[in-house]
Parts: sequence; structure tokens; C-alpha cells
Amino acid sequence: MLGRDEVPRRLTLRENDDLHIVFVARPGYSGNVDFEIDIVRPGANLEIAGLYLSNNGDKVNFNVCVRHLVGGSHSRQIFKGIVGDRAAVSFDGLIYVAQDAEKTEAYQENHSILLSDGKVDTRPQLEIYADDVKCSHGATVGSLDEDALFYMRSRGIPFEEARKMQMISFVSDILDRLPESYRNDVISRI
Amino acid sequence: MSNILQIRNLHAAVEGKEILRGIDLDIAEGQVHALMGPNGAGKSTLGAVLTGRPGYEVTEGSILFKGQDLLAMTPEERSWAGLFLSFQYPIEIPGVSINNFMKAAVNAKRKAAGQSELSPADYLKLLKSKTALVQMKGEFIKRDVNVGFSGGEKKRNEIFQMAMLDPDLSILDETDSGLDVDALKIVADGVNALRSPSKSSIVITHYKRLLDLIVPDVVHVLKAGRIVRTGGRELVEQIENQGYDSIND
Repeated sequence: MLGRDEVPRRLTLRENDDLHIVFVARPGYSGNVDFEIDIVRPGANLEIAGLYLSNNGDKVNFNVCVRHLVGGSHSRQIFKGIVGDRAAVSFDGLIYVAQDAEKTEAYQENHSILLSDGKVDTRPQLEIYADDVKCSHGATVGSLDEDALFYMRSRGIPFEEARKMQMISFVSDILDRLPESYRNDVISRI
Repeated sequence: MSNILQIRNLHAAVEGKEILRGIDLDIAEGQVHALMGPNGAGKSTLGAVLTGRPGYEVTEGSILFKGQDLLAMTPEERSWAGLFLSFQYPIEIPGVSINNFMKAAVNAKRKAAGQSELSPADYLKLLKSKTALVQMKGEFIKRDVNVGFSGGEKKRNEIFQMAMLDPDLSILDETDSGLDVDALKIVADGVNALRSPSKSSIVITHYKRLLDLIVPDVVHVLKAGRIVRTGGRELVEQIENQGYDSIND
């Protein structure tokens, strides 16, 4: 596990490199989070996951650029988070697939839950110059599910706990990527 | 016999439109009351108002539950006090397992009563006996709440939750809708197993077939936001044979 200033932000993936990054922006973290990754050999596999739990005026800007310069490689970007209390999060994500980089698979997702008084800007982009590729991107910004909250409360689960359960479940696929002791620490801050 | 529920002149509105227009209802301990009536009469609205669902505004009247002012309580406080609604349309909660959901619910109720959390062994024992009651298999509790459930599984899950929470007043809102005969029997057997001299129920339904299995003490007919007739089981027969049009003020 690396601290915030130790994460290499410009990387090049070569033959059969398999890189998994999980970036967690905990409450109280503000800053620019830039990743610029070039895939220059076939067979490389990249996954970048991001989690943001931003509140109390936090400002987090993600800028993720994944370039597939040759074909036959995979990448997946998945960023999820919860934004409230005057926090602002932006996500700029680019998938670039060069001409002739055939058989590239590249996916990008960004999903946020917006609590009152938070702000999210999401700008997913695809730039694809090859023909035979599988690429997709998707972004959603939603709020807590009021019907589910009421359902939980009607079973006696207190309002704050019901909210917390819903928030944890929303980001559970990112939490599952973290080592257990660190995951519990992150959950305790939700 | 004391009243577990006492409703007086209850008026309630949804989005400014008045749905309940003066309900009076007393339910004694140990009684099962059937609530019948055409679509739009306000049956589900009454269930929603009793459980404190957001968006349902009480404009007039009072509700006492075990002598307490129910309308002053939050939805979770009503649950702790012993009120339960089996939803007509149970809600899906992706990412939350039935196990975690029920553990949180059971322990919140214990905490509110000043009791300690159940030990893992005692919780497991409770879980096993209640899943057996609705004939659910062990893996059931690992599934996300209602996600991908069939209609019958959703209703069995409601009765399972009711059994876990052991409420004093249960409202079953069209628990029979969309159930085949076998699922209906499982649900009715589950409800009947929980009947006792101190537990009461309100059974909202359109159909005699449920009330043949869960036999009510009292039957009410609700029309346009008012109870227009109260009687015994003969009302069920009359509705089955002649429809709601045969019953008027």
C-alpha cells in the first residue's frame, strides 16, 4: 500500500503486465488524482478502481487517461463514491484506442451517490481509432433510495444505520478490492 | 380485552389528495381483522400511514398503539414498539444480504428494549427456526434483500421477517396477491403459527381464499376512504358472491 505522494501516476504497461490500482480518497482528502497509462504491448491487463468518500468541502479531481497503443490488451476503470456536504468531485476519464490497436477491450464506469449539498461532474470519453474493439463507458449520479430506506426503518433499523448500510452496499465492489484491515478502516469512516 | 390499536377520525392525504376520510377502528389484543374494499379505497394508504411512510400526510385524527401516540413516532420506533407491515410490493436492496439486514433489525429492536445483542449462536438458532417456518433454504439468507426474488419468494421473505421480529400487530397488505396455491398455503401457515392471544393482525385482501386460511374475527369494508360496513365472515361471502357494489353505507 502506498501513500498519496508515492503512487506513480505515469505508467507504461508492457507484455503481459497485470496491474491493479485501487485509489481511495477518504473523507478529508482534497487534491488532483491523475493517472496516465500507456499500454504498449499486447496481453497487458490494467484495472484502476477508485473510491471517494468526500464531504465537508473536500475537492477531488480525477483525471484518468488510458491509452491502448497496441491491440490485444485489456483495461477497466471503475470509480465510485459518495459526495455530500459541500464536497465537489470531478471525473475526467479517457479511453484512447490507437489505429490498428485491434482486439482491445476497454471499459470505464463512474457511479456516484450525491447527498444534499454535494456536487459531481463526470465526463467519460472514448476516442477510438481501431475497428475491432470492445469498449464501453457509463456514468450515473443518483441519490439514496428513499423506498429502501423506509423499508429498512420499518424493520427497526435506525435511519442513520440504514443510510450507512445503503452507502456501504453501493461501494461494496470497490471495498472488496481492499485488504481486510484497511477495508474495515474505510468502512468505519462512511 | 384491551385495544392494541385505536384509530379515531383519521384523515390522510397523498400529494394533497385526501385518501382516508374519517377512519375509526379498534383492534383488540388477539384479534384478526380483515380489511377489504375496491382498488383505490385507501387500504394500502392505511398501512402506509400506520407505519409512517414518508409522503403520507395525516391531516386529522389520532392513532393510539398500545396506548402510545403512534403518529409522534418514527418508522423505526413503531417497529420497536411491535408494529409490522408486510409490504404489498417488497423493496429490493442490492448489496445488502438478508442476513445482515435481519441482524441489524433484530439487534436494533433489542437495543431499543435495553437488551444486549443476540450471541451469534442464539441468532443462528432464531434464523434457522424462522427460515424453516416459511420453508426457505439456508442459502436464502445470503441473498440480497428481494433482489431477483419471485413474487412468492418476496412474500415468504416478508413473513420470515415478521417471524424474526415477533410483532404485536402485523398488517398484511395483499400478501396473497400473485401467489400460487402452494405459496399461499406456506404464507398462511406461517401467519397462523404466529397467532397468539396477545398478537393481532390486519389482513388486507380482495379474496376469500386467503380468509379461508387466515380466519378473521372481524371484517371491515373500506370504500372511498371510509369504513362503510363492519361485520363477521358473512361479509366475505357476500363480497365473493355479489361484489363490493352490494355493500353501501
